[in-house]
Amino acid sequence: MNPPVLDIQGLSINYQTELGPLQALRDVNLVVPEGKIIGIVGESGCGKSTLISAIIRLLAPNAQIKQGSVNFKGKDLLSLSPEQMRSLRGDEISMVFQDPMTSLNPVLTIGRQMSDVQHRNTSSRSEKNARSLMMLERVGIPDPETQLQRYPHHLSGGMRQRVAIAMALMAEPALLIADEPTTALDATLEVQIIHRLKELQREFGCSILFISHHLGVIAELCDEVVVMYAGEVVESGSLREVFIDPKHPYTQKLLECDPARIAQPTRELPVIEGSLPNLVNLPAGCIFRERCSHAMTRCSAERPVLSGGHHQAACHLLESSP
Amino acid sequence: MTKPRGLIQHTFSGLKKDPLGMTGFVLVSIILLLTIFAPWLAPYDPLDINVNNRLSSPSAAHWLGTDQLGRDILSRVLFGGQVALKVSLVAISVSMAVGLVLGMLAGLGPRWLDRILVILFDTVRSFPTIMFALAIVALTGPSLNTVIGVIIITSIPVYARVVRTQTRALRERDFILAERAMGASTGRILRDHVLPNIAAPLFILASMDVPAVVGMEAGLSFLGLGVSPPTPSWGSILNDGYSYLRNSPWPIIAGGIPLIAITLGFTFFGESLRDIFDPKLRRKDQ
Amino acid sequence: MSTLLTVRDLRVRYSVRGGFVDVVHGVSLDINRGETTAIVGESGSGKTTLAMALCGLAPIHGGEVRLDGEMLKQDRKNRLNPDRKRVALMFQDPVGSLNPRMTVRRALAEPFRIHGSDAQSPDKEALRLLSMVGLGDDFADRYPHQLSGGQARRVGVARALALRPDVLIADEPTAGLDVSIQGEILNLLSRLQKEMGVGILMITHNLNVVRHVADQMAIMYLGRFIEQGNSQQIFDQPRHPYTAALLSANPSPDPDAQSSQIELKGDVPSLLQRPSGCEFHTRCPRAKVQCRNAFPELTATNGNQQFNCFFPMGE
Repeated sequence: MNPPVLDIQGLSINYQTELGPLQALRDVNLVVPEGKIIGIVGESGCGKSTLISAIIRLLAPNAQIKQGSVNFKGKDLLSLSPEQMRSLRGDEISMVFQDPMTSLNPVLTIGRQMSDVQHRNTSSRSEKNARSLMMLERVGIPDPETQLQRYPHHLSGGMRQRVAIAMALMAEPALLIADEPTTALDATLEVQIIHRLKELQREFGCSILFISHHLGVIAELCDEVVVMYAGEVVESGSLREVFIDPKHPYTQKLLECDPARIAQPTRELPVIEGSLPNLVNLPAGCIFRERCSHAMTRCSAERPVLSGGHHQAACHLLESSP
Repeated sequence: MTKPRGLIQHTFSGLKKDPLGMTGFVLVSIILLLTIFAPWLAPYDPLDINVNNRLSSPSAAHWLGTDQLGRDILSRVLFGGQVALKVSLVAISVSMAVGLVLGMLAGLGPRWLDRILVILFDTVRSFPTIMFALAIVALTGPSLNTVIGVIIITSIPVYARVVRTQTRALRERDFILAERAMGASTGRILRDHVLPNIAAPLFILASMDVPAVVGMEAGLSFLGLGVSPPTPSWGSILNDGYSYLRNSPWPIIAGGIPLIAITLGFTFFGESLRDIFDPKLRRKDQ
Repeated sequence: MSTLLTVRDLRVRYSVRGGFVDVVHGVSLDINRGETTAIVGESGSGKTTLAMALCGLAPIHGGEVRLDGEMLKQDRKNRLNPDRKRVALMFQDPVGSLNPRMTVRRALAEPFRIHGSDAQSPDKEALRLLSMVGLGDDFADRYPHQLSGGQARRVGVARALALRPDVLIADEPTAGLDVSIQGEILNLLSRLQKEMGVGILMITHNLNVVRHVADQMAIMYLGRFIEQGNSQQIFDQPRHPYTAALLSANPSPDPDAQSSQIELKGDVPSLLQRPSGCEFHTRCPRAKVQCRNAFPELTATNGNQQFNCFFPMGE
């Protein structure tokens, strides 16, 4: 069995703010096996942006890595120099961002940008163009020769996102990180892109770390799922394990809230009472306690740890049951 | 809108956190105080000629020395500040007011009006200021009012352009559309929604414009197009000093220091103000 | 009368370089008291322009709109002029639709200041509105950028319902909100609708939400309604292939569900070059030659489901 492509252990990151240190990530563990698609589910404030920034080492200046390691194919990314990190980005680790409007340079043609991405390659320009054309076809862009000459603003959002995916996969990275790549797109486009991504992953064999708060898309695409809440991993497991038998109260509530899941039409939609905790003044005990309907006394005193086999959740309720 | 007392408190708490801005504020305050109280602070009458003591270096009697007619430079600099103050106050407030109106008209009015105004602005701006001043002076003769007039005419397009750009950007913003959807009249929208959102940049532009205006006045007076002798202005002090540079550097130094001080002061202060009054830079709990 | 707003054959046309575009191309619908009607469509369908036109923020090129039976007139720029106290609009961007330099209190007082109400002072009204949407008094002195998406959305609801309008047009009320907050906002709107009897026209691309909160719905494509009617019926049995594709594109998070998504070919055509015949034929998996040559007339089923298609689903 090959070692995992990405192995994050005990990652904790703070942001220095005027009000004090903001504990954005606390003791996060995450494993991305080779050739698998891992989904991160979480709402605003769960820390997924911080996590991604940490992986590609583009954290904000006021971020402080308190502890932990981010191992990429055995190497700890946190200990690499900026030059070493730069050589990995775009080659072994690539990213697709959320906003297709801004992820492409508006003043360069598509063809130029796709050649630029191949800058490590010493082949000729025509060879690079040929490869760009091939990638564009792979992502299902019609009439690719013409598109190479065009500028990003000529293309629709869906097309731009496909170009972004083509650019990200061109170097055949070991790990593709996709941060809400379809959130800004219409539903029918989302379907097209997700199908395409699935095919490409099977073909290229890369691992994908897919972040989204769109549960339906996660269910469509991912093999494993990690659920994050307010800076912690609260549950992880295979897709079926987490979505069919959620163990953490937050996951349960989240799935309940998704209107697509509710069979009977209702005017009174389920909500999660309360709001996100203050990450500067962290409450004691379980991070979800204030909003949990099963909270016990133990939950305000002791922070739960992930328990269980492959399907893990951080909840005292699980520990108390035999 | 915010109450005045709250405004002042907010400004000061912001300045306390920004050493550069505080420095600017202190500089500006010192210059203003010295200028306003010049008649009481000046040791001598700035017009007092004393030919026996020409071009002397700084001494106990004359802190900045004397000029080519034996007049006390310090006193001339202090009174020169009054000229600078008068010019900047008048020129900037008038340019700002007229620029505001014209800019809003261009930004919110019909397309054809916008086009005419923009052509007007660009035409005026394309005249080199000095040439323009020469032309006016040829008509009206040199005087402080000429200087003020020239500065006003050449500054209006600058303010108007800024206001126009800001207004046009605002025009399509959702909150303006929301006001229209609620039935607000154009007047209300201009007064309550457009103006507050462009006023802050405008005032800050004005505070950073003070050094430029003072510099322009100094330049024009230096060329003899402005203040007529013997009235002291920083520019005329520099002019006089230029001719006698080989005899004594002090007039130049003395004329230059206030210009530098006012430029630094208003620039630091203006930039600090801009940051203080950007609501987006307020923390979530303020 | 239960029908508040009737729209008949509404058209919005813009001139652009190269010709003109019909962003809204003949739309008819009714909005009834106490009911929610959803307009569903993707980017470029014209749904936001429709909302703007009904509020007088976009010019009308044709058609008529009646509020309580009375026809709305147009101003010199061909914009409708509805009574703003009776028709309110909620914008898609909750933070952007608030003046960044105005406190929440001031923003909520605006409707009263504009229309000169003889109720209590505008400031008192602002506090009352805050509590109506479940926000504490401490929110009154905050600025828009100090609000979360959900909080700003609530302020938007409060402002829109301040003068107790008859019709509320909500443009993407759940856009950008986390799933757990979407429910809060929708429940709030439902509750207030029950209390005030307001008719809601909801513009959205989120079909999952529509299924729960809308009584009637209309699906928009290239400026036209291609299917409309009772939302439950349409969800149970969509007739137009585009409706079916949209419905299938929002999968439930069920790992065991078969991937039954209908993938549409290509992209949405440009409004400058509308396809001939049935405008959906370029992307339709069921299209035949006839679809390219002729425009399908309106078919109405029992109940009030209507659609335009030669080869509808289920046949």
